[in-house]
Amino acid sequence: MRVALVGNQNSGKTTLFNDLTGSNQKIGNWPGVTIERKEGHIRGTDIVVVDLPGIYSLSPYTAEEEISRQYVVDEKPDVIIDIIDSLCIERSLYLVSQLIETGTDVILALNMSDIIDREGVSVDVEKLSKACGCSAVSISAKTKSGIPELIEMLEKHTYKKNKGLKIFPKDIETLIGVVQKEPSAENRFDAIKIIEKDPRYAEKYVSDEVNSEIENIETKYDMDSEQLIASLRYDWISDVKGSAITLKKEKRSVISDKLDKVFLNKWAAIPLFIVIMAVVYILAVGLVGSLTVDVMDGLINGTDSLELNLFGASWEFEWEFTGLGPWLADLLGSVGASGWAQSLVADGIIAGVGAILNFVPQIIILFLCLSVLESTGYLSRVAFLLDRLFHRIGLNGKSLIPFIVGTGCSVPAIMSARTIEDEHERNLTITLTPFMPCSAKLPIISLFAQFFFPASYAWLVTFLMYIAAIVVIILCAWVLSRVFIKNRTASAYISELPAWKAPNGAYVGRDVFDKTMAFIKRAGTIILLCSIVVWFLVSFTWDFHYIEAFDPEAIEEAADVVVYTVDDSLLANLGRAISWIFYPMLGGNLSWAASVSAIQGLVAKEQVISSMAIIARTSEEAIFESSLFSFFTPWSAVAYMTFTCFSAPCFGAISTMRKEFGSSRQMWKAIGFQTGLAWVLASIIGLIGMAFV
Amino acid sequence: MTRKQLKKRESRVVHKKGDVCKLSELKKGQTCKVLSMTNDNKALRRRLLDMGITKGVLIHIKKLSPLGDPIDIELRDYELCIRKADMEEIEVEVVD
Repeated sequence: MRVALVGNQNSGKTTLFNDLTGSNQKIGNWPGVTIERKEGHIRGTDIVVVDLPGIYSLSPYTAEEEISRQYVVDEKPDVIIDIIDSLCIERSLYLVSQLIETGTDVILALNMSDIIDREGVSVDVEKLSKACGCSAVSISAKTKSGIPELIEMLEKHTYKKNKGLKIFPKDIETLIGVVQKEPSAENRFDAIKIIEKDPRYAEKYVSDEVNSEIENIETKYDMDSEQLIASLRYDWISDVKGSAITLKKEKRSVISDKLDKVFLNKWAAIPLFIVIMAVVYILAVGLVGSLTVDVMDGLINGTDSLELNLFGASWEFEWEFTGLGPWLADLLGSVGASGWAQSLVADGIIAGVGAILNFVPQIIILFLCLSVLESTGYLSRVAFLLDRLFHRIGLNGKSLIPFIVGTGCSVPAIMSARTIEDEHERNLTITLTPFMPCSAKLPIISLFAQFFFPASYAWLVTFLMYIAAIVVIILCAWVLSRVFIKNRTASAYISELPAWKAPNGAYVGRDVFDKTMAFIKRAGTIILLCSIVVWFLVSFTWDFHYIEAFDPEAIEEAADVVVYTVDDSLLANLGRAISWIFYPMLGGNLSWAASVSAIQGLVAKEQVISSMAIIARTSEEAIFESSLFSFFTPWSAVAYMTFTCFSAPCFGAISTMRKEFGSSRQMWKAIGFQTGLAWVLASIIGLIGMAFV
Repeated sequence: MTRKQLKKRESRVVHKKGDVCKLSELKKGQTCKVLSMTNDNKALRRRLLDMGITKGVLIHIKKLSPLGDPIDIELRDYELCIRKADMEEIEVEVVD
C-alpha cells in the first residue's frame, strides 16, 4: 500500500514522516523544507509512506510543488494522509476540498493537537470528519500522540472510503455533472479543472454547449469561473469551520507577535540580524576554533605544549602527547614494516585525514547554530526582512536561506533555492550560493589566515572572508541581473510567516550529529582515498622509484649518487603542466604543489589542505615551513584562498546545480562564471602583491 | 511631476473607512475587504486565490518589513508575506 503525505507548507509533514517511518529527515521552521519526495516503510508493515513537498492547492506554483501535484493526481497513491495545521484550518481545508475530488481515500491528520489547547482553539474531530466525508485523527507529530491510531487505521483499512463529497451549490454541481459526461473529463477532478480553465487542461476538448453553460454561470455570479470556484470552496470551508471549530479566545500565539516586535522592529531588525550572524560565526570559527584546533592537532600529530588563543590573549600549557600519527608509525616500525609503508600511514593517511579532523569541533558548533536558526523560524523572518534589498539586486528574500544554509554545505543550500518562485531569481541564487564559504572551506581559510595575522586574530580573517563572500554575491547579483537578464517581468514573493517555535532539542541533537558524522565519514572515505592517491603520486617517480629523500635541499649533501626528490615525483610532473594557470595569483611563482592542491578542491574543498599536508610531508600546522610552500606571501595567500573559495564548488555541489538548473548548459555556464571570476579576482590580488612587495 | 513624486504623494494618502482602493495603499493596522482581483499574471492570480485572497475575505495589514516592503498580512487565521507590487491589482474596501 502506498500512502502519500500531503499538506500545506510547514505543517509538519516531515515530522510525521519521521514518526511513522523512524527515519530522520530534515525538518525546519520555514515553508518549503522538503523539496523532493522521500519514501519510507512503516516499521513491521508493507505500507510505503511518501513524504511530499508542501502544497496549498493542486495548481502548483513552484517547481517543488509540481512534484506533489504530479504524485497525487497522476500516480494516484492508495491513501492520502492530509496533515492539517490545526491553527490555520481554513487554508488547510482548501487543499482538502481538492484532494477529495481526486477520488482517492483521504485521512485528515489534525496536527499540533498539543498546541491547540494552549492557543484556545478547539476542534470537534467527529464533526470535521463528517463534514469532509473522510476519516479524521487528532495527532501531534512532535509528541507522537495519535500516531499508533493512525497506523492502525492504515493497517486495518478502517478509514472512510471516498464517496465524492459534493461541496458546491446546486447549479455548479449540475454543471460539474454535465462536464463530467464529456469524453475529455475522466472524473470530477478533471471536470472542475476544465470549468476553472486550468491551462494544464486547455487542450481538452469540450463541446460548445458546455462552454456556453460555463459562461452562463460566470455571468450569473459576476465572476470568472476560476475565482468563482475558489470563492465557493472557501464558502464551504466557512460552513465546516462554523460547525466543527470553536475559538475560545483571541488566537495565534501572543509570544510570537511579541518576538516579532523585537526581531522585525523597524530600527532593531537589521542590527539584530548582523549581531546574530556575527555571534554564530565568531562562536564557531573564532572562539571554539582557536580553542580546539591546537588540541586536535596535538591528538593527531603529537605535541609537547599546548597553546590556547582567545581573541588576542594566549596561554601556554605543558602537555606531552605522542599523537596518533607518530604512534602508528612507531608501531609499524617496531613490527618491521618497510619505510614506505610507514610513510603511507604517517605521511599519507594521517597527514591527509588528520588535517581535516582538526576542524570537527568548529563544524559541530557551526551546524548547531545553523540548526537552531533553522528550527526557530528566524530564517523566514530574515527573508521577509531583506526581500526589498535582495529584490533590488535581482534576488529574492528567500535567497537568504540558501546563503545561510550554504555556510554549512552548498548541496542542501542549492536545493533549498527551489522555493523561489521566479526562475531568474532562482537561477541567480543557485549560481551564487557556492560563493558562501561552506564548512569544508573553513579549513582552507583558517590555514591561510594564520599567514597575515597572528594565530590569535585568525578568526578575524575568517570573518572577513564571509564579508567578502557577501560583497561578491551582492555585486555579482547586481551585475548579472542587469546585464544578462533582459525583459524582466515583475516577480512574486508570496510566503507564509510561520509562528516562532522553540527548537526541539532531540531533533537538533540528531541533526548536528548526522551532519558531523557525514563530515567525518567524508574524511574517512573520499579524503582517505585521495590521500592515498596523492601520497602515491608524490612518493614515486615516473619509473616507480620510491622517493626517500624528500626535501629538495637534501640533494646537495649527497651529490655523488642519484637522489630523487619530491620535485621528480609523478605529482610534480602533473602539476607543472597546469602551474602556469596559477602563476599570477601566486605572485609570479610556478608551483606545482599549490596547483595540484587547488585542483583537488573539486573532489572536496577540504582536500586542498589534505593534499598540501601530504605534499609537505608534515602536519597541517607546519605546511608553510616546507620549502614547497614557503614562497607564499600574505598577498599570494589571500589570492590562493580567494581562488579555492570562489572557484567551482566540489563535484557534489556541481551535480546538485545541474539537477536544480535542469540543464547541463546552465551548469557549465555557472561553474565557468564562478571559476573565471575566482581566477580574475585571485590574479588581481596576486599581481598587486607582486607590484607592492 | 515625475512618476516617483506621484507615487510618493499617493503613499501619503490615508484611506478612511468605506474608501475603495488598492490593497497596497493601506497602512499598518488597517483592515479591508477584498472586492476584486484584476491581475494579468495568471499564475500569480491563481496563487493568490489559492492562498485565500477571494472576494469578500477580510485582510488585516499586520506588519511591515523594516525596509517597507514586503508586507505581512493576516487573513483566514494565518499570516502571509507579500510584495507591494503583487498587491497592486487587488481592489479592496477599507473596513477599519
